[in-house]
Amino acid sequence: MAPNRRVKRVAASQPGFMTLNTSIKPENLVSNRRKRINKNKKKNWNKHIDVNDVEDFLEDVRLQERTTGVASTTPNTRAIMSNTRAIMSYTRATISTTRAITLCSLCWPLLDSTRNNQQRRGLISDKSDESLFFLDAGDKKAGTQTVVEPTGRRKASRPLKVDLILKNNSLVPVPKDILAYQLPNAKKLRNVAKKAEQLAAIGKVPKKHRPPTKVDGPTKTTAADAPNNPTRDFYDIWGQETKETRDPWYLRQTGKAPVKALLLKAHEVEVKKEKEENKIIKQLAYDKDDRATEESVFQEQVEGLEEEDYDANDFNSACTLGILNLVEKKTEKQRKKERVQKIKEQRRLASRYKTGQQQQLFQLRSIKVSLRQREQRTKERQTQRRANQEAEKYRPRRLGKLKFTAQDLEVQLTNELTGSLRTLKPEGSVLKDRFKSLQKRNLIEPRERAKFKRRLKIKYVEKRSFREIT
Amino acid sequence: MGGVQKKKVCSNSATNYITRNRARKKLQLSLADFRRLCILKGIYPHEPKHKKKVNRGSTAPRTFYLMKDIRFLLHEPIVGKFREYKIFVRKLRKAYGKSEWSGVTRLKDNKPVYKLDHIIKERYPTFIDALRDVDDALSMGFLFSTFARTGKCHVQTIQLCRRLTVEWMNYVITSRALKKVFLSIKGIYYQAEVLGQTITWLVPYQFSHDHPTDVDYRVMATFTEMYTTLMGFINFRLYSSLNLVYPPKLDSKASGALLKGEDDGDYALDSESYMEKLSALSSCLARVVSSVEEDEAQMDHFPVEGEDVEQMEAREKEHKEQEAQRRLFEGLKFFVNREVPRESLAFVLRCFGAQVSWDKSLCIGAAYDVTDETITHHIADRPNMEKQYINRYYIQPQWVYDSINSKICLPVEDYFLGVTLPPHLSPFVEEKEGDYVPPEKLRIMALQRGEAIVQDEDEEDDEDDDDEDEEEEEEEEEEEEEEKEDEQNLKKMETQRSQGKSLSVKVTPGKVKKEDRGRLEQEEKAEEKRLAIMMMKKKEKYLYDKIMFGKKRKVREANKLTAKRKAHDDASKTDKKKKAKKQ
Repeated sequence: MAPNRRVKRVAASQPGFMTLNTSIKPENLVSNRRKRINKNKKKNWNKHIDVNDVEDFLEDVRLQERTTGVASTTPNTRAIMSNTRAIMSYTRATISTTRAITLCSLCWPLLDSTRNNQQRRGLISDKSDESLFFLDAGDKKAGTQTVVEPTGRRKASRPLKVDLILKNNSLVPVPKDILAYQLPNAKKLRNVAKKAEQLAAIGKVPKKHRPPTKVDGPTKTTAADAPNNPTRDFYDIWGQETKETRDPWYLRQTGKAPVKALLLKAHEVEVKKEKEENKIIKQLAYDKDDRATEESVFQEQVEGLEEEDYDANDFNSACTLGILNLVEKKTEKQRKKERVQKIKEQRRLASRYKTGQQQQLFQLRSIKVSLRQREQRTKERQTQRRANQEAEKYRPRRLGKLKFTAQDLEVQLTNELTGSLRTLKPEGSVLKDRFKSLQKRNLIEPRERAKFKRRLKIKYVEKRSFREIT
Repeated sequence: MGGVQKKKVCSNSATNYITRNRARKKLQLSLADFRRLCILKGIYPHEPKHKKKVNRGSTAPRTFYLMKDIRFLLHEPIVGKFREYKIFVRKLRKAYGKSEWSGVTRLKDNKPVYKLDHIIKERYPTFIDALRDVDDALSMGFLFSTFARTGKCHVQTIQLCRRLTVEWMNYVITSRALKKVFLSIKGIYYQAEVLGQTITWLVPYQFSHDHPTDVDYRVMATFTEMYTTLMGFINFRLYSSLNLVYPPKLDSKASGALLKGEDDGDYALDSESYMEKLSALSSCLARVVSSVEEDEAQMDHFPVEGEDVEQMEAREKEHKEQEAQRRLFEGLKFFVNREVPRESLAFVLRCFGAQVSWDKSLCIGAAYDVTDETITHHIADRPNMEKQYINRYYIQPQWVYDSINSKICLPVEDYFLGVTLPPHLSPFVEEKEGDYVPPEKLRIMALQRGEAIVQDEDEEDDEDDDDEDEEEEEEEEEEEEEEKEDEQNLKKMETQRSQGKSLSVKVTPGKVKKEDRGRLEQEEKAEEKRLAIMMMKKKEKYLYDKIMFGKKRKVREANKLTAKRKAHDDASKTDKKKKAKKQ
């Protein structure tokens, strides 16, 4: 026992030992580290190793061998292959040996199925769980009965190097692997199994266990999807239809319908206004090329001046003309007369304007009437045009090379009609009728059946042999 | 310099249209596939307004499509399927050529198919849209279902059409939606009102097909493909609206005995017998929730604004009439002889609540035998029957159709075996005022009004003639009457005046002169009208004259028809008399 031994040698480790320096605790004085000693010298053995320790160890080993020996005899126990040792060591490090074995047997049932002739050996373990890292199975026959002698079996019981490398050195216990018991996707698998059980109770067999029927095969699925499959099934295609059109009653109650109409009216008014505005803007628009540039402004300013210069030569003649004009002076009488005339003219115009105004006032009614008439006429024309356009839509159009030709009307004359339904002779083909109707509605273009044209003429020859026979 | 010159091909009209061939190339489809795609998606050719602009200056006749339509087609998943199919065919041919039979079967197993469900949903976003467009689908479906298996189209298509049309007929029977029937030389026209939509379809007579050569069967088959899908979904919706099981099942309670017929095996294969029973149209359909005979739901009355009591009453009356029409044949028991078109009659009769049966050897699903004593009407189409039961009417099939159209059970006497039938009038013609109405129709109208006419034929005819004459006279004399009235008024005035003069001395207690207000009003109106005509401008006068001329022409035509009819009747009458004398 290590602590006992240390107690003997170091006083500081003894209970009740008091240090001089109170800040240092007595436990810290004794190093926890075990002293490394070579065990290949007899002297070392005698000096440092307690016999009791060895005895204890051996006892432990024996005990373990006994227990595992029993386990290995039972057929259920699985020994672990040497090549999975690494994994095993990990588990072993976490849990105690015996548990580890049983657990392994649970968790990896598949591992042993690939097992080949592995020697089964008795289990050897270290003293404590922490240092336990390696599990080895002994020979089934020999291992169970033989009590392991520490000296004789040393080589067999020595751990492999790999195991040593993989050994968990830390003293902190490895956290327990709580997932060890769990299968991946266990919940899902469990649910699937449960469902299968339920279905089995009803009498249904899951699809993968069912023998492949014709329906399941790729052939039939495609055939079932075909649009002309007579047994195909239909469903409610308009089921999730959003109800756009609301109840008229509701609309009336909430006053939404009239609002809509009003809105439309308001919109129309706005459109009209905008149109008028646009009209004015258009009328006021000017050509952008006519925009005044600096050059043009300058030109304008300079215009008269240049011309004066230019016309300097003619200045004299112009002056003389002006003088001549000025020379003819009006007499006083003439002026008076002119003034009177002017005033007269002005009066005349004023009176004319006045009467015109009055006349217009009286004309107001007739103007109104004419306006109304004009508006009505345009309205009528609009409706007419709209009707024409509508009619045009349903006219058979020219959609290809051929024009649509309506079918002859099938009529039976009075003498062709028979007296009873039994003797009635149907006339005309409904199929052709439908076809023509589609053409008439512009759904398909009128076509002609492709003609077979013979490129070369056929020569009819009567064979001589044939003639001879007949 | 007139600005930048426009590029010709980039102009508006040219870019809006695309020729068929270019569209086809854009979609990488063969012409047949392109045509099929267009039909399925509802894309139709367009005639551009300015062909020359669109056609790059050429006036060659071409088929144009709108560019945006074609762009819309580019995203269609079915296009991919068409291409796949093309590849499939190529591979299959190759496998056949190399005689790799396993490869052939494998390819056939993986034959690409396409579904049209999404197209239906896309083209008909709501159920009512679809229902409005079902006329064409029905006509086509009924047409294809009567095709023989000649290889002109797939047998499967025929079967599907048959199934869907039978489903439709069963629905119409259960909802009692049929309104009008007309036997024409092409086929039988039916009109039903389903969920407020008037739906008309044509059912060709059986065994009447000679396949025309100038009809493109491929195009028709494509249309049918689309229509069958549409009809299937519509049927589903209609069935669920009536709480019926879809696909339809026969009501096991009502027709328990029927379902376990012993002679099923003789008539049809086991696999087909159920379908055949359904198509016999003789039994009720199973409901999802088996309900005890639905009570006639009382119509709810929501007084609508702007609708007074009269209108509401009118509506109610109309509703009642419809209800009565639905129960036209209720309680009657029919037997259909073997020479009459069974399916049509069974359909029509069941639509109005009658019981129908036929000979066992004629079709599956016969409910009772000829010997059943409770049969009320026996429909036959032969001049005479050897063995006749005394307690039933032997009538010709036309009675059924005429009764339906006139909405009453017509007198049976005109439709007995061997009797010359009255004309079968079309219910789709609706005469306006002033149109010629044939006397037979007048008679039916009188019957509808409840005026019992129990007279000999000749007398009736005479009466009819008289009526007509009167009408004619009335029409002719309308204008004269006005003048006459005026004259009469004048005379009255004069007499009054004279009376006034003579009675100027005496004062008698005055009588309250009864003013015929209506008459006065009428007169006033007439006067106003005449004045208005006088005051008309030249242009308006011209228009007015034109309208009046049109009206008069109509009257004249009607008169001509009546005269013709009269001449015909006279001729036939004299013939009859001659015959009678001879005998």
